Amino acid sequence: MSLTNDKFLNISNSIKNSYLDEWKNNKKKVLGYYCTYIPEELFYAAGFLPYRIRATGHELDELADIYMVRFTCGFVRLTLDLALRGGYDFLDGLFITNCCDHARRMYELYDLVVFKRKEIKQKPPQFYVALPHVINEDGFEWYLDEIKLLKEQIEQEYTLKEIDNSQLKEAIKIYNENRSLLREIYNLRTLDNPKLTGSEFLQISMANTSVPKEIANNELRRILEIIKNSKDLSNNRKRIMLVGSVVDNINFTKLVEDSGAIIVSDFLCFGERNILDDVDLNGDLLENIAKRTYYRMSCPRMMDDHKKRYDFLLKEIERAKVDGVILQRINNCDLHGCENMLLEHELKDLGIPSLNIDREAFLTDTTRLQTRIEAFYEMIK
Amino acid sequence: MVNRTELENKVIPYKILLETLQNTYDLVDSILLDNTIPSLKIGLKYLIQNIEANIEKAGDGLPVVGHHFAFQSEYLDCFDVVPICIEGTSYILSALLPDGVEKYYDLMRNWGHPFHTCSSQKGVMGMTLDDLFRFDAIICPTAPCDNTMASYPYFKYQADVPMVLPDMPFIHKEKSFKYYAKQIKKGLEDLGKIIGQKPDWDELKKHLEIDNKSINTQLEIFELKKAIPCPVENFYNAMSAAVTIFMAGKEEKVKYYDEMLESAKNNYRKKKHHGGEEKIRCIFPYMLIFFDLGLCEWLDRELGMSILFDIFNYNFTKPIRTTDSLDTMFYDMARKGMEFPMMKQSTDFYYNFIDDCVNMAKEFKSDCFIFTMHIGCKQFGSVVQVLREALRDETGIPVLMLDLDVGDKRMTSMKVLRDKISLFAQTLL
Ligand code: SF4
Ligand code: SF4
Ligand code: SF4
Repeated sequence: MSLTNDKFLNISNSIKNSYLDEWKNNKKKVLGYYCTYIPEELFYAAGFLPYRIRATGHELDELADIYMVRFTCGFVRLTLDLALRGGYDFLDGLFITNCCDHARRMYELYDLVVFKRKEIKQKPPQFYVALPHVINEDGFEWYLDEIKLLKEQIEQEYTLKEIDNSQLKEAIKIYNENRSLLREIYNLRTLDNPKLTGSEFLQISMANTSVPKEIANNELRRILEIIKNSKDLSNNRKRIMLVGSVVDNINFTKLVEDSGAIIVSDFLCFGERNILDDVDLNGDLLENIAKRTYYRMSCPRMMDDHKKRYDFLLKEIERAKVDGVILQRINNCDLHGCENMLLEHELKDLGIPSLNIDREAFLTDTTRLQTRIEAFYEMIK
Repeated sequence: MVNRTELENKVIPYKILLETLQNTYDLVDSILLDNTIPSLKIGLKYLIQNIEANIEKAGDGLPVVGHHFAFQSEYLDCFDVVPICIEGTSYILSALLPDGVEKYYDLMRNWGHPFHTCSSQKGVMGMTLDDLFRFDAIICPTAPCDNTMASYPYFKYQADVPMVLPDMPFIHKEKSFKYYAKQIKKGLEDLGKIIGQKPDWDELKKHLEIDNKSINTQLEIFELKKAIPCPVENFYNAMSAAVTIFMAGKEEKVKYYDEMLESAKNNYRKKKHHGGEEKIRCIFPYMLIFFDLGLCEWLDRELGMSILFDIFNYNFTKPIRTTDSLDTMFYDMARKGMEFPMMKQSTDFYYNFIDDCVNMAKEFKSDCFIFTMHIGCKQFGSVVQVLREALRDETGIPVLMLDLDVGDKRMTSMKVLRDKISLFAQTLL
């Protein structure tokens, strides 16, 4: 058995899927979100299916052009375009946090434009949480208060009753299990003889954010068995770590891997960064959810945490026996652009090969990228 | 022992700035008739005093503290330091130096700083890379944009400058002001530990009170701009931005606004327009174009277009209460910080910004808006069309969007920008 054409992985190729339809047919609600800084367990406990908005396969941005200037993130622009064409009309709610300047403004654009389209019968509720940009106790206190207010808002506008501890506990268990399964799968990439490619992991991870987590967990268990029983992948390819802006399209990871490498590790928000930390099941559960979301392995939007991210990267490079690091950013992503600038110099100082590239969200510049990537592989021979 | 020149060399760009300011002042003084562009002459005079005083302080060996433009320099008056506004310095030099600060932008770009990341920080980052600035510490609120969040770590991790980051929430609620108030106080205490000074709250009070004095004057000038023709020249807006950034909490700021109020009243009484005849009244809801401030004069004189105000000239906060408790004072400081130009619009949803624009268009009888869409400010990248639609629906007036880098003349040529504005103006006349 192999993962080629696996039905779960295929979910990542489209926006909607049969599990989502089934969920909706059962009159259950779907909540869209952009950034992984979301207390997903809380929404799940409230009966929402949190769905990570992406634009996989969507290539048009003319409608988004009207509302977003060209020098904004292509990933967000594509999602907006898709939303304006009705691709996200199945959403029953939207959660936004001040993750980056591009995605956070989707709060206003969905409110003023997307949800005002005539196709939308009833405007879905929108939720917003202000997340600090530094990680310390004061910041956590602020964040916890925001999460408490969020819970109240969900209870008032959606569940119409209190979300109790047993619901929270159940959601946390499901999510912890989900992360643990993903970690197990992830670790099979880092082996000396990896069992799956970076593109396959990305597909698994994207599919995982598009279906209810109970279903995802069953699927992940099944996939884990397939992978464990599959043949090792060839070990004479360059071992690459992929770092930077969101990747929601395997065309890019394939480009990296088809040129003679395998992505054995990543630091992406559809990748490892989001599955490292779990929620504690003891004590105040809401507080624990807030703790995980706030103190988890950060991304560059956390202004004071570069050192921790860098240290983590170094450990991963060692653990996964990485030959070279590809630092990439979607054009106009300032957060990853500057983080990559720092990392490039730091890795160079340690003699770790790295390639720093910018790209379009939907690959239009394949040849240029391929040439640079191949030249990089040559260099790390 | 370290000599004075060596200490002053911690702020070399300030020395360059002083020389340029002096040259510009001499030129203005010798070729412009008295009161031809009052804001330019008055502003330059006080800016020179301010920069001179800071170089002097650097020479005395006081710590050089970099600060983000949105951490107002008067807040640093609780210390004896040389405050250097990072964004302000990049842009004032971009405005005054014949070749701008492109050399430093290029240094940083070659070092890996993305081309789309804000030039306001890129300039001073490049100067720091070139060892022209040697900061002892930097203080920066965690706002208003990704560029701030993304660029400042360079100073900490590559230039090895200790950094203090008061956290500013991205939502304007009562609790936000309280939270940020604590962050400012703690931030100043932490900064004090780094530079070996204890914050002197009495001294801070004194400077906050000085700054308070100019608020009413600014408001009076703002009100006078409702008159037709606008009695204040376009350049006032540009100079006010510099005064706000560099002279906060200083008597020079008070004097600048006092003198400008006199000038505005005088013009108002005579119904005098700086360019001769006012044909178009325009609002720049965002920034001016810093690399070509000559645009202000050109608009006044060539097109008869008044810039009623830009973002630095329509955000006013209440005076800070200094005589109640320290808590009240910090609360007001937080409010002022969060309502500072660009912070107010960037750290909250943009509904209020749109409403403000519509109301100002009506109250000030504006004929149009010109939105300078600066490449750095991604948080405004999805505002323009919504603003355009709101203004069209509620006032019927058009918006011209200019995409550019307000601090780098190479991204869009000034000729192209002026042509666009001219064509736009023709459609209005
Ligand atoms: S990179 Fe960070 S800010 Fe951007 S979507 Fe991922 S988690 Fe959110
Ligand atoms: S790639 Fe960068 S700009 Fe785009 S959504 Fe992610 S963090 Fe934001
Ligand atoms: S708000 Fe805009 S101009 Fe100001 S620092 Fe950020 S990107 Fe630059």
